[in-house]
Amino acid sequence: MPEIKVTPLGAGQDVGRSCILVSIAGKNVMLDCGMHMGYNDDRRFPDFSYITQNGRLTDFLDCVIISHFHLDHCGALPYFSEMVGYDGPIYMTHPTKAICPILLEDYRKITVDKKGETNFFTSQMIKDCMKKVVAVHLHQTVQVDEELEIKAYYAGHVLGAAMFQIKVGCESVVYTGDYNMTPDRHLGAAWIDKCRPDLLISESTYATTIRDSKRCRERDFLKKVHETVERGGKVLIPVFALGRAQELCILLETFWERMNLKAPIYFSTGLTEKANHYYKLFITWTNQKIRKTFVQRNMFEFKHIKAFDRAFADNPGPMVVFATPGMLHAGQSLQIFRKWAGNEKNMVIMPGYCVQGTVGHKILSGQRKLEMEGRQILEVKMQVEYMSFSAHADAKGIMQLIRQAEPRNVLLVHGEAKKMEFLKQKIEQEFHVNCYMPANGETTTIFTNPSIPVDISLGLLKREAAIGPVPDAKKPKLMHGTLLMKDNSFRLVSPEQALKELGLAEHQLRFTCRVHIQDPRKEHETVLRVYNHLKGVLKDYSVQHLPDGSITVESILIQATAHSEDQGTKVLLVSWTYQDEELGSYLTSLLKKGLPQSTA
Amino acid sequence: YRELHTFELQAPTRLIEWAHGSRVCVAGYGQSGGNEILQLIPPPRLQAKETQGLCPERDFKVECGGFSKHPVYRLKHVPDTSLLVTSGPPDSSVQVWQVSAEDSDVIKSVGTIVTENSTGQPWAKIATISARVPWVLHGSTLDSIQITEVELRKNVYTAASEDSDELSGLAFLDSSTVLLCCARGRLCMADVRQPQRPTQAVPVPAVPHAERWCMGTLCAAQGSDMGSQPVARLSSRGFITLTDLRKASEPLALAQARVPSPGSGAEFLCVSWAPALQGCLAISGFDGTVHVYDTHSWDSSGREAEPTFVHKGHMLGGAGGSGDPPLVTAHTWHLQKPRTVLSAASDGSLHVWDWVQP
Repeated sequence: MPEIKVTPLGAGQDVGRSCILVSIAGKNVMLDCGMHMGYNDDRRFPDFSYITQNGRLTDFLDCVIISHFHLDHCGALPYFSEMVGYDGPIYMTHPTKAICPILLEDYRKITVDKKGETNFFTSQMIKDCMKKVVAVHLHQTVQVDEELEIKAYYAGHVLGAAMFQIKVGCESVVYTGDYNMTPDRHLGAAWIDKCRPDLLISESTYATTIRDSKRCRERDFLKKVHETVERGGKVLIPVFALGRAQELCILLETFWERMNLKAPIYFSTGLTEKANHYYKLFITWTNQKIRKTFVQRNMFEFKHIKAFDRAFADNPGPMVVFATPGMLHAGQSLQIFRKWAGNEKNMVIMPGYCVQGTVGHKILSGQRKLEMEGRQILEVKMQVEYMSFSAHADAKGIMQLIRQAEPRNVLLVHGEAKKMEFLKQKIEQEFHVNCYMPANGETTTIFTNPSIPVDISLGLLKREAAIGPVPDAKKPKLMHGTLLMKDNSFRLVSPEQALKELGLAEHQLRFTCRVHIQDPRKEHETVLRVYNHLKGVLKDYSVQHLPDGSITVESILIQATAHSEDQGTKVLLVSWTYQDEELGSYLTSLLKKGLPQSTA
Repeated sequence: YRELHTFELQAPTRLIEWAHGSRVCVAGYGQSGGNEILQLIPPPRLQAKETQGLCPERDFKVECGGFSKHPVYRLKHVPDTSLLVTSGPPDSSVQVWQVSAEDSDVIKSVGTIVTENSTGQPWAKIATISARVPWVLHGSTLDSIQITEVELRKNVYTAASEDSDELSGLAFLDSSTVLLCCARGRLCMADVRQPQRPTQAVPVPAVPHAERWCMGTLCAAQGSDMGSQPVARLSSRGFITLTDLRKASEPLALAQARVPSPGSGAEFLCVSWAPALQGCLAISGFDGTVHVYDTHSWDSSGREAEPTFVHKGHMLGGAGGSGDPPLVTAHTWHLQKPRTVLSAASDGSLHVWDWVQP
């Protein structure tokens, strides 16, 4: 049975890093190559030795696909391609290709320069890695080789995020990466056509969550920012350069405009320009509204948001600052945090998930005394808030996507196994498909039922159509023919044509059986008796008495001779072809029973 | 509002019930099967006594779920057990479910309490009591009231009555007395230690038109005086009566709520007392709003009362003109936070709101 094998090397049943191996029809594809942000040692990278113990990765893998630029999906890519070794193609969308190296370089700087780590990739490695990248457009079918093709679909979530369809022959797998089924201020919702893949691999981080409506969350966020600024406090919002930051910028800009607020809003330099540049460049990746208003004014050119300078952090008075990186683990946002933490009028709002080990995670867990470098204790008096604006699909969204794509099997990654039983049953009940949830390192095998297209010859069709009534178009019709497999093509032809094409001679198989009958009369009288008997019994068949003294029943021949040694016994020779086996053996057993006594 | 959270359930619910460990249960009531029973963990924000700044999550988490072929109209958690009971069309039987949140997240069906002549009967109303005994009181008409011990599914009490009045609600006043509300308005009581006919406690209020009634009582807390909390009755035209069961002959107070004239019938009528706010009750089921009233100022004149607060959120969230405007199907009070209410509507929305005293 043909099968598709899936092995998560990360994001089997944990959030942190995504790296999934898929084996389909002899092709091996790696989906995403993420890094776990919570570990500082080798555990942050996926375990690539699982793939092949001593073989070369380039020989084993046909391609690598990266879904979007978040580090938990692409963070380990330079390590993988340059330090472990892979020279094959790496596919991602254009925005991802543009933005990935920036985030990787940022992260590298913090990890190596600030923290002094050694086993990490270098800037040159990032550059070399990106040289292996082939950028793809949405809905463009890309031939990786003669048999393997891939296609990207819009996934929402962040700029450039895509879901990928991987197809070999008529078997296909769709990998969603992270996606979002509801549009937001700067991105549209994920969409896929009814491609009916054999397997859909979907993330399920938020599958068991019923999310608070966006309006309420935004209202709360704005209320908090407003309150802090009104009382003269400073608001720090640590963000990653690209992603939710743009969403929040648009939100604040609109609010500031509406409420006519004067407090300054700052965005870390360098990243504003780049972000702006990329959103302008990839305008087709944003949502309808942005594209429409872009003509009038650039939504990413903000009136109230200005570039930040380190010195501003010491300015008196209220302000709002967006600074990187997002988990407060290093860099500018951490510097600003240290300056402002001691004042209870200030507030820090964490807009996303913080991995364990980071300062962001610590303060969200309630820690108020943090140990900094040089054993300094930092007391946190400022207010700490968490507002998750990350865009992931919830249970309803997952069901929507399955409904759109109509896969035959579903595989869930990124969730916790125990809590997924209900969702698994829900999917199985509603869509009647199998649902799998492998753990890291566990291989799931999915059996597929590919349909094999076969050409049928016109002659065979005509012949089969001539037999019997016109078949019902909806019902399958049973046909007989010979399957010729030549040069990767399958053809169904009549046996005669097959023999001719292959240059084979047809052999006829004929059986002959002897039946002894006690009859002292002359041969031709015996024959007459047999003829009359058969005629009476086999009313539905054509029984003929030929001038040469033989009897035919359909195509079976019966001849009578006298037994060489015993004149009282006649020997009937019953002969039939292989095709008439059934009738032949029936006749034989009938004759063996003997002839009735009184016949004319 | 002090706090407002709006959520969207995949399917609308007509019940919101508290379960052990401050969990909230909701369930679908669709006719075509595949209804989900969900036990949700409310966001940490709502669990805390005061609104702390440090509550990361604002979302409900589905702790476990189960599937029901039939629409679920009522659900009650059986205290001190890990069982739930549900009821709904097409008959008056009661389904029993097991919740085992540690092992798996599926709510399993473990049995049914079948009642005699259950087919063709209207669906059963149910009530449970927080006492040592896992009893469930259920029935759809006055003559079909029973108490069943849930774990062994053994019948403990059957009311001996010939009255086939339809019930709209029932409740335990304490472990030996039950209160029954007929759909036509009268209240009856019965002592469950003896199988006798329930006695009429309070007659149908004198109103010009025949209306449907439902009641609201405060959960029988341990050791509290049985009659200390008045029983509220709400009619399909918005008339509210308050009765002290110790002096059942005279109503304590009467009031008329300003509600639109009955349109879709009294399917979702709901009246409930605030557990942490003396004399405060809420009504819903007439349209997309929930009204909160302070009954301290009410008298027996039956005039129109001003609501302290009206939650209109469900009306605003409608799916833009497609079909009927949403109707509030259920509401319930938060057990600890005094002014927090949860309400659900027919468009699948679930709101949690905390209003500011004007």
